[in-house]
Amino acid sequence: MNIRLMMAVLAAKFASFISRRFGWKGSSLPGVVARKIYPGTLRDLAGQARRGIIMVTGTNGKTTTNNMIANVIEAGGFRVVINQEGANLITGVTAAFIKHADWLGRMRFDYALLEVDEASFPRVVKEVKPQFVVVNNFFRDQLDRYGELDKTVQLVRDALKTLPDVHLVLNTDDPLVAQLQTTTGHPASFFGLAPHQRPDNGARQTREARFCPRCGKELHYDTYQYSQLGSYACEDCGFQRPTPEVEAALVETAGTALRCQVRYPAGQVQLAIHTQGFYNLYNALAAFTVGYLVGIEPRRILKGLLRYKPAIGRMETFRYNGKPAVLNLVKNPTGYNEGIATLLNIPGTKNVFMAVNDNDADGRDISWLWDVDFEYLADNHRDIEVFVCSGLRGEEMALRLKYAGVPLEKITVVRELAAAIKEVLEGPGESTYLYSTYTALWPTQKILSGLAVKEDLHAEGLSSLS
Amino acid sequence: MLKVCHLYPDLLNLYGDRGNVIAFVQRCRWRGIPVEVLEVNVEQPVNFADIDFLFLGGGSDREQNLMADDLLKRKDSLKEAIENGLVALAICGGYQMLGRYYLTHEGQRIPGLGILDLYTRAGHKRLIGNIVIEMTIDGEPVKVVGFENHSGQTFIGNLNPLGRVLAGFGNNGQDSLEGVRYKNVFCSYLHGPLLPKNYRLTDLLISLALQRRGLHAELKPLNNDLEEAAVKAMVDRLL
Repeated sequence: MNIRLMMAVLAAKFASFISRRFGWKGSSLPGVVARKIYPGTLRDLAGQARRGIIMVTGTNGKTTTNNMIANVIEAGGFRVVINQEGANLITGVTAAFIKHADWLGRMRFDYALLEVDEASFPRVVKEVKPQFVVVNNFFRDQLDRYGELDKTVQLVRDALKTLPDVHLVLNTDDPLVAQLQTTTGHPASFFGLAPHQRPDNGARQTREARFCPRCGKELHYDTYQYSQLGSYACEDCGFQRPTPEVEAALVETAGTALRCQVRYPAGQVQLAIHTQGFYNLYNALAAFTVGYLVGIEPRRILKGLLRYKPAIGRMETFRYNGKPAVLNLVKNPTGYNEGIATLLNIPGTKNVFMAVNDNDADGRDISWLWDVDFEYLADNHRDIEVFVCSGLRGEEMALRLKYAGVPLEKITVVRELAAAIKEVLEGPGESTYLYSTYTALWPTQKILSGLAVKEDLHAEGLSSLS
Repeated sequence: MLKVCHLYPDLLNLYGDRGNVIAFVQRCRWRGIPVEVLEVNVEQPVNFADIDFLFLGGGSDREQNLMADDLLKRKDSLKEAIENGLVALAICGGYQMLGRYYLTHEGQRIPGLGILDLYTRAGHKRLIGNIVIEMTIDGEPVKVVGFENHSGQTFIGNLNPLGRVLAGFGNNGQDSLEGVRYKNVFCSYLHGPLLPKNYRLTDLLISLALQRRGLHAELKPLNNDLEEAAVKAMVDRLL
């Protein structure tokens, strides 16, 4: 028995109790306290995993992917530890274990599922050795926090290289991700989408990887899925999209659900998830691949995925006066572009709400809004009745829409969130889409929960398991 | 017809800088001034003498290295156009490139185009944050807001600054100067992007471009309520 670990866990649990008592939202405080008392806390707790540690890193979809993996692993009959959304720095990861540990620092679990912030990834893997690392994508994100994208990719790559023994689960469609197999030398399983799966065309978006991550020459693309994801090859050094072990095709939207055929080494299945957003297929494929690799029966994997419920602000659906209201977190140009594409694929008239804050966790620099393809939205503004802009930088959001070509009479700025949300829900559209940056998301969700009813997607039922 | 040239949009596309081109173009179109945008990437030809407004943004180190050789090849024609009054806006990396050199931490001098008599040296602290400067447009003081994010510190010697720093760092965090203006070339560290909010500056660029073509430079007034609200939000916060 390690006395220091016990003391650290005790103190952390006390800190957690106090912070809950006073209504503080710091989900990482217990982690901070424990690490002060005993720096080996994380290493010792994570070391108690009976089967292993699975990490998810990359820019977009970490929380969703991690939650989907949890559903899959639990459907396989395993006990898991998972870190809460947003708590993806080293202190948050530590706190996740403390929450599950007993007062003596003992835990019983099979797998720890950890979403890890890209910038924190090197620190976390120094203390916790993952068996699997999932990397979904790399996009430009909060330049004032992360610096340029090249540096983020390099950070993750160098950290992976320090691991002696790990299996990578990589998105084959993102060249910045796929290169990690050869540049780190680790074994890898690839997942991806067959070409031409996309109902709309995302051809005009800001792309990150115009150049081969290996040799720097221009990459040649046959097709794009979105942003730099697609079917690519470098004519110079021969680097190309690896053939995926797990590949989805025949993608279809069924109301607020997505369905596709998945081909994997042992056969073919139909996969369904109860969520909107084309990009969520990648998250589901990542989770499918992990489930397959740890030896869970495909039937159970699919059941687990079908049970997935969107986390806060991940296409989270409410109902207001009988009309759907969908809340979506936006953090960077690619995520916003995908959010817009989702909205434009849904038929009917809409009200749109856009909240932009510029606190530290949002990124203080909001110039990335100008890299979002709002022009695409403006070109299709006929179906959109109103645009209500809010948050600390609501004026700037409105200005962006104006320059994108949205008519001024459709744009209003309401600084105060509650008033803005009320106004947009009362709009004449048949549904409402709410987009919010990170620090505006929680208050928006709270206000929305007070006004509208959270929808239980599972009432619909989808009998698509085959 | 005004011809806008966006140089290296494929490489220099950090921090939403394409918003500057969007703003210039939209404010022309809303007034019925026809405009055409040429996107010129590495190895693509352009004759600067034909251009009415040139935009040069900033990129990551790797991307800037990829375009630097190409830009150096165009140095003479660009210099000639600038001396002849080409209206241009250069932001961040583009601003630094127009100067004489960039002095690295190791003391290495990376040559720039040398069109403007200024130099940049690597700083030890990244200068990041919201910024307000005051510049003079048509004899009136105008507050211009943006976001800066640079580690290079630029010293402009005897050249005229674009404005004076009211809040933030500016060229180097020391002399309270921000950007540079030389003939019709405007340089700045302000992202945001600069032109959409700061419409008086955008309109100044449009007027200068029209004047240079010998066209009527009096601009039709537009509704600037959102622009003013966006500037006011930051001025109220920072000053």
